[in-house]
Amino acid sequence: MQLIDKLSILADAAKYDASCASSAAPKRSSEGKSGIGSSNGMGICHSYTPDGRCVSLLKILLTNFCLYDCQYCVNRRSSDVPRARFTPEEVVTLTLDFYRRNCVSGLFLSSGIIRSADYTMEQLVRVAKLLREEHEFRGYIHLKTIPEADPALIEEAGRYADRLSVNIELPTQLGLQTLAPEKEMGSIKQAMQTIYTGQQTVLNEPKAPRFTPAGQSTQMIVGADETDDSTLLHTAESLYGDFRLKRVYYSAFSPIPNSPKSVPLAAPPLLREHRLYQADFLLRGYGYSAKELLDGPGHLALDIDPKLAWALEHRDVFPLDLNRAEPAMIARIPGIGIRTTKRLVELRRQRRIRYEDLTRLRCVLAKAKPFIITSDYHPRQADTSSFALREQLRDRPQPQQMALWA
Amino acid sequence: MIILDCDDLFDTWRQQARWLLSHQIDPDQVSWSVKEDADLFASDDHYPPHNGPFQARVPLELLELLQNAAQYCGDQRWSLLYEVLWRVSHGDRTAMMAGDKLGSEVHRRLKQVSREAHHLHAFLRFIALPPCNVGKDLEVKAALLETQKLPEYVAWHEPAHDILHSASQHFVGRMGKHRWMIATPKDGVFYDGERLIHKRQCPAAWQSLARHADDPHGELWLTYYSHIFNPARLNPKVMQGHLPTRFWKNLPEGPLIPALISEARTGKQRDGQARQIAERRGKVIRSGH
Repeated sequence: MQLIDKLSILADAAKYDASCASSAAPKRSSEGKSGIGSSNGMGICHSYTPDGRCVSLLKILLTNFCLYDCQYCVNRRSSDVPRARFTPEEVVTLTLDFYRRNCVSGLFLSSGIIRSADYTMEQLVRVAKLLREEHEFRGYIHLKTIPEADPALIEEAGRYADRLSVNIELPTQLGLQTLAPEKEMGSIKQAMQTIYTGQQTVLNEPKAPRFTPAGQSTQMIVGADETDDSTLLHTAESLYGDFRLKRVYYSAFSPIPNSPKSVPLAAPPLLREHRLYQADFLLRGYGYSAKELLDGPGHLALDIDPKLAWALEHRDVFPLDLNRAEPAMIARIPGIGIRTTKRLVELRRQRRIRYEDLTRLRCVLAKAKPFIITSDYHPRQADTSSFALREQLRDRPQPQQMALWA
Repeated sequence: MIILDCDDLFDTWRQQARWLLSHQIDPDQVSWSVKEDADLFASDDHYPPHNGPFQARVPLELLELLQNAAQYCGDQRWSLLYEVLWRVSHGDRTAMMAGDKLGSEVHRRLKQVSREAHHLHAFLRFIALPPCNVGKDLEVKAALLETQKLPEYVAWHEPAHDILHSASQHFVGRMGKHRWMIATPKDGVFYDGERLIHKRQCPAAWQSLARHADDPHGELWLTYYSHIFNPARLNPKVMQGHLPTRFWKNLPEGPLIPALISEARTGKQRDGQARQIAERRGKVIRSGH
């Protein structure tokens, strides 16, 4: 099979993994050195595909032959898809070619399970080792980790890769039993623990070789089973806590050709995935806890974002006086982000904040208005009920044309 | 009215601004313009060449901010900066802040400039030239380049602001000892493996080399781009927000985009697999090998 045919099959097979980040790598440069590649912590999106997703890395599978039969996966062994397998050298050639063209900032390599977990992991590590050692490649490398692989192999991977990820896919043991019978929550968490331990070992040891400097991440599929947003968010929160994960990705289940009966035929609304990302961002960046966002079972609201939902539930806190309030509380005002909060605090050291300033700082005023006080403004809506406010502020779905071919 | 021309050079502007400030010349009294325009408004006022008595003190961060904002190409490019400098040097630091009217315009420009630098890092595409010894044609070209050496990689890019010189430093770290060149309609850079050479007017030979480079192995990237796209998640609006259409014409994948969108609209929405893959014969793997 020609390289280009393999590429088409193994890129098509890799598109269901949401992550494509090339950020958080340490500073590396090839200036005046043999070899190629650099990284500086900032990710670069070299292109965007018409699904609105960023192309930052060459994201491919080493092979889509797979012994597992995960029901949600297009590459499960019972799936009738064309199969292909790259040699490690072919992956290296492609990575370097795309890198020199400035089409990507590195490689994100995953694989179906062939022969054994250890054998598969060895192959992945081999690619990273070839790139780093033979070709002195200093770009970004993200390797998927096979949970059941020998911890020694995972540790080796962590020394070559900027990022490792172990996909949890379904957050409950029951979900895994039903849809991914070969997978097991215990071994997934064990692999996360191996990576976490590796990171802790080199922490505060500037001379030690680096270990996954861009951290570890995982992915959960949304809408392949009945799991609700509350379970997803609480799982994410404990993963951030237990293993210091850098990111949890949420991937709306994408229906696959010849779908088995055990998984839905239709995708969940992409808006659900979007709301989960918003909530996740509040967990990571704003100091919210999962319990504050979803107390008890259920889904996040689709018609309002989770920050607005929290504010509507906590009207006693608002309106907040922007000239006095604690920065952490300002950041909880809908329509005002961390960056704007910082700018407001800077500005109020010089003079009083006026309503007009918020326009210039490009706040989403329609959302912020009911929740703020400035030196020249007091909200008229302060006494409006949360129910009425929600009616005013909720996103109305765009009218949609019926699909012609559905 | 004083009309000045700084030839779009920050250091020249800086000298001029320092002189103006030392004479306490109000921003209303001065404007920057290119030479031909300047003649239209030429004034007979004469000013002493030496610096005046006013000693301005400004924070170091202001200089950096002005230097970055100066890369923005647009109306009032230089006079806006003088107004900021004037206000800060007279004790009003809000002029540097995004909450201020003038400051918010400065910050908008800074954002555009850094976004455009990022666009260079992201959307520029290098094409490998064949090795130098393959023909007379290329030797002639090398001679035309003034650098005497042919680059190994060339790129054509059309930035909206004057970011090329500072932002192309990024590729020195990225490309190692390789020689590369970036040509634009305005300026150009050439890295010979050791030094980065910047030409304010990109030589025609550079432009022609970059614009007409052959890319016999471009198919792989196009294949990858088409197959990593998930047609079941079509969302062209988000894509265009991140990848403005003005870049499409210089991206090899640009011409693919309209067809991928329309194919996804007409019936590919149910699953994520590309048509070319669905048409091929599949292979089920028997359990237990």
